[in-house]
Amino acid sequence: MTESPALAIRDLRVSFGNGGNGGNGANGGDGGDIVRAVDGVTIDVRPGEIVAVVGESGSGKSVTSMSTLGLLPRTAEVSGSIQVGGVDVTTLDAGRLRAIRGAEVAMVFQEPMTALNPAFTVGWQVAEALRLHIEDMSKKQAYDRAAELLAMVGIRDARRRLDQFPHELSGGLRQRVMIAMAIACEPKVLIADEATTALDVTVQAEILDLLRDLRTRFGMAMLVITHNMGVVADIADRVVVMYQGKVVEQATVEDLFARPRADYTKKLLTSVPRLAPGQRRARTRAREQGEAPALALDNLVVEFRGKGGGTNRAVDEVSLTIGRGEVLGLVGESGSGKSTVGRTAIGLIKPASGAVRLLGEPLTGAKGRDLRRLRRRCSIVFQDPASSLDPRMTVGDCIAEPMVINKVGDRGDRDDRVAALLRSVKLDPAVRSRYPHELSGGQRQRIGIARAIALDPELIIADEPTSALDVSVQAAVLDLFLELQDRLGFACLFITHDLAVVGLVADRVAVMNSGRLVEEGPRDQVLFDPRQDYTRRLVAAAPVPDPAAQRERRAQRLSL
Amino acid sequence: MIRFLAKRFGQALVVIALVTVIVFLLLHSVPGGPARGILGPQATTEAIAAFNHEHGFDRSLPEQYWMYVSGLLRGDLGESYTLNQSVSSLIGQRIPKTLVLTGLSTLLALLIAIPLGVWQGRRRKGLADYAITTLVFIGYATPVFFLALILVIVFAEKIPILPVQAPQAETLAGLFADSRGLILPILAGAIASVAVFSRYMRSAVLDNLAEDYVRTARAKGASERRVVWLHIMRNSLTPIIAMLGYQLPVLFSGALITESVFNYPGMGLLFWNAAQTSDFPILLGSVLVIAVATVVGSLIADILQAFVDPRVRGAIT
Repeated sequence: MTESPALAIRDLRVSFGNGGNGGNGANGGDGGDIVRAVDGVTIDVRPGEIVAVVGESGSGKSVTSMSTLGLLPRTAEVSGSIQVGGVDVTTLDAGRLRAIRGAEVAMVFQEPMTALNPAFTVGWQVAEALRLHIEDMSKKQAYDRAAELLAMVGIRDARRRLDQFPHELSGGLRQRVMIAMAIACEPKVLIADEATTALDVTVQAEILDLLRDLRTRFGMAMLVITHNMGVVADIADRVVVMYQGKVVEQATVEDLFARPRADYTKKLLTSVPRLAPGQRRARTRAREQGEAPALALDNLVVEFRGKGGGTNRAVDEVSLTIGRGEVLGLVGESGSGKSTVGRTAIGLIKPASGAVRLLGEPLTGAKGRDLRRLRRRCSIVFQDPASSLDPRMTVGDCIAEPMVINKVGDRGDRDDRVAALLRSVKLDPAVRSRYPHELSGGQRQRIGIARAIALDPELIIADEPTSALDVSVQAAVLDLFLELQDRLGFACLFITHDLAVVGLVADRVAVMNSGRLVEEGPRDQVLFDPRQDYTRRLVAAAPVPDPAAQRERRAQRLSL
Repeated sequence: MIRFLAKRFGQALVVIALVTVIVFLLLHSVPGGPARGILGPQATTEAIAAFNHEHGFDRSLPEQYWMYVSGLLRGDLGESYTLNQSVSSLIGQRIPKTLVLTGLSTLLALLIAIPLGVWQGRRRKGLADYAITTLVFIGYATPVFFLALILVIVFAEKIPILPVQAPQAETLAGLFADSRGLILPILAGAIASVAVFSRYMRSAVLDNLAEDYVRTARAKGASERRVVWLHIMRNSLTPIIAMLGYQLPVLFSGALITESVFNYPGMGLLFWNAAQTSDFPILLGSVLVIAVATVVGSLIADILQAFVDPRVRGAIT
C-alpha cells in the first residue's frame, strides 16, 4: 500500500435498538430487540479508487454508507472507527461532523426526484452546498460556480437550468444535479448509494461514465453501493460483498467475477441473469390450424389528457400478436408506453383507436357479460406485490378472490384449490392464513402469481414482475414462472426493462420507445442482432456482469 | 397561469350563481312569504296582497329571480325588515370590522401554530409533545362561547385588566383607538384555530422529516436548524395554505359567536341579531356574502399554493 486510504472503515458495527432503551454497547449479545445491521465491516478506499459494495436488501450496505456521514438515526449504536483523511468520524460532535459532510465526504442518493428538495431551484440547491462550506462566497459567486458545476457534470445550457425546479428535469438530469451538488466542494470521498438504480439503462450508462470521468479528474475515492452486478463490473476496481451485515469477500473486480471464493458470492453471481443466445428452454407447442392468437393488438393508440388540454400519445399505432402458449417480452425504458400496452391489452385502459382481440374475440367494445367472460380467461401480475395485494386480506383470500368473483366452485373446492396453488408456487399451504405484510417480497410475488393462475388463464400480463426483487429471489421467481408456463401453457406478455430477464423468459421480443414499436422479432435476433439503432443502443447500454466483457462493450457503446 | 386563473374564475362564478339560486329559493320558502315576515302575523290578506304586488312578489318565480339577480348586480341586497336600512349598506359597514377581527385572530393563530407545530414535529412522542397535544386538544374541544366566557371571567373580572366589551366605534380607526378591547375577542378566535393549524403543521413536518431531500440536506452539511426551518418549512406550508382558504367560512362562523359574546359590531353580530328578529334579507344577504367569501378564499388559497409549491405552479402554467 503506497498511499494511505482516503476512507478507512475499521471493524464497524452498527445495531439498532428497538424503541426507547436502545441497548448499551453493540457487542452485548443480549439478542432480543437488538438488530445488528452491520457486523465488523472493514473497508479501505484509496484516492482515485472505486470500491463497490454489493449485497442484497438487508445486507447492511446502505447502513455502512450512512454511517460514514453520521447520518444514522439516533437509535443506532455505532462502534469501530471510520477514518476520513485521518479523522475518526465516529468521534466527532455534531458541528464538526457537519463540517465534513459535503466537504470531505459527499453522497449521491438513489432516487433523484425525492432526494432533491422540490421547493427550491436546482441552482439554489447546488449553491447551498457551496455556501455551507465556503464562508466568504457571495450568493452571486455561488450561483456562478453552480453553473460551472452543472456544465461539468454534462448539463447543457447550465445557466438556464439554474432557475429550474427538480420536477422540471428528467431523471438523468436530476441525478447529474445531485452529482454536481456532491462534487461542489471537491470532496475526498464520494459515496454513490444505488445512484443509478432508479434510472433507465441508457441513462445509467451515462451516469456511470460521468462518475468514472470525475474519478480521473479529481482523484476522488469512490464508494459505490449497488445491488447490480452489471454496474459493479462496469465501474469498480475492487469489490466488497456483504451479506447479513458481514463482509463475506473482498477482491479485485476481475478476481471476484472470475474466481469467486465465498459461497454467497458464487450464489449471487449465478443468480444474475445473463444475456446469452439460445438460453430459453425450447418448448415447442404446435399451433393448431386456424387457432386464433392469444392476444392481437391492431394499430393500438392510447392517449392521455396532457397539460393545457392537449393530448399525450402514450401508445402510438402498436400492432402485436402473441400466439397461444407463447411468451412475448415487451421491453422499453420508462415512459415508453410498455405498461400502458399491457393494461390496454386486458381492457383496463380504453384505447383511443385500434383494436384489441383477446383469444380471438374483440375486447374493444365488449361489454358486461362478454367482457367479464373474456377477462376471466386472462390475468395480470403487477410489479410491486406489496401494494398489489390487499393488506387487509389474508393470503388465502387474496388467491381465492378471482374464484369468488367468478363464482367458481364452493367454499370447499376453493380451499383445496388455494392449497394446490400455494404448493404450485412452492409455498407452504399454511401461509394462507397469514397477511401479505408478514411475508417477504419474494413470497408476496409468488402469491401474486398464484392469484394470477387461479382460474387457469390462457393469457397472463406480467408487468415487471421481478423488478422489485433481489437478484437471488428474482432468479427463483423466474424459474418458477418458466416452470408454470411450461406446465400450464399460458401465453404471456412479459413487460420489463431488463434485457437479461427478457432473454431468459421470452420466445419473441418487442422493443418500444416513446410509444412506438421499434422492433419485433425472435428473441435471439432482437437481442443479439438488432436491426434498429435504438435497440442496438439499448442492448449496448445494459451492463453485463463480467468486467472484461463490459469493458469491451463500453468501448463499443462509446463508438456507437 | 392566465389560463388557470380564467378557468378558476369561471368555476367560481358558476358556484356563486348556484348560491344565488339557493338563497333566492330560501327567501321564497320563508313561511307565509316575505310579506308575513315584514307586516307581521296580524296583517290582513289585502295588505299582504298589496305588499306582494308592490314588491313584485306576485310575479312568476323566474321573473322574480331575474329581479333579485339584477338587484344583486347593482349591489342591492334588499331592505332590512327591522333596521330600516339597506342590507348592502349594513353589511358594508360591518364587513371590514369582521375582517379585522378574523384576520388578526388568524394571524395570531398562525404565528403561534406554525412554530409550535414544527417544534412538536421535531420532538414527536416526547413529553413536551404530549403535553402540548393535550393542551391543544382541550383548546380545540372547548366551545368558542365557553372559551370566550372563561376569558371574560379571568381577564375582565378576576383580574380586571381588559374590558368585557369590544369597542363600539363606527369606524375602523375607532376600533383601533380602543385596541385593548380587541384583545379578548381576537384571543378567543385564535385559540381554536391554533389547534387546527398546529396539528396540520405537526403532521406535515413529520411527513417531510422522512423525505429523502432531508437526508440530502443533512449530507450536504446543513445544520439541523437550517434543515427544519428552511428545507422542511417551505414544503410543510403547502397544506396550511390550502387549509387557510377553506378555513375562511369556519372563521366567519367562529366570528358569529365571538362577536355576539363580546358584542363586537361585525357581521357575526348583525347575523345573530337578524336571526333573533327573523330579519330574512339580512340573513340571506350574509349567507350570500359568506358563500362568496368561501369561493374567493379557496381561489386565493390555490393561487398562494402556486407561489409556494413550484410543482403546482408547473401544473397550472
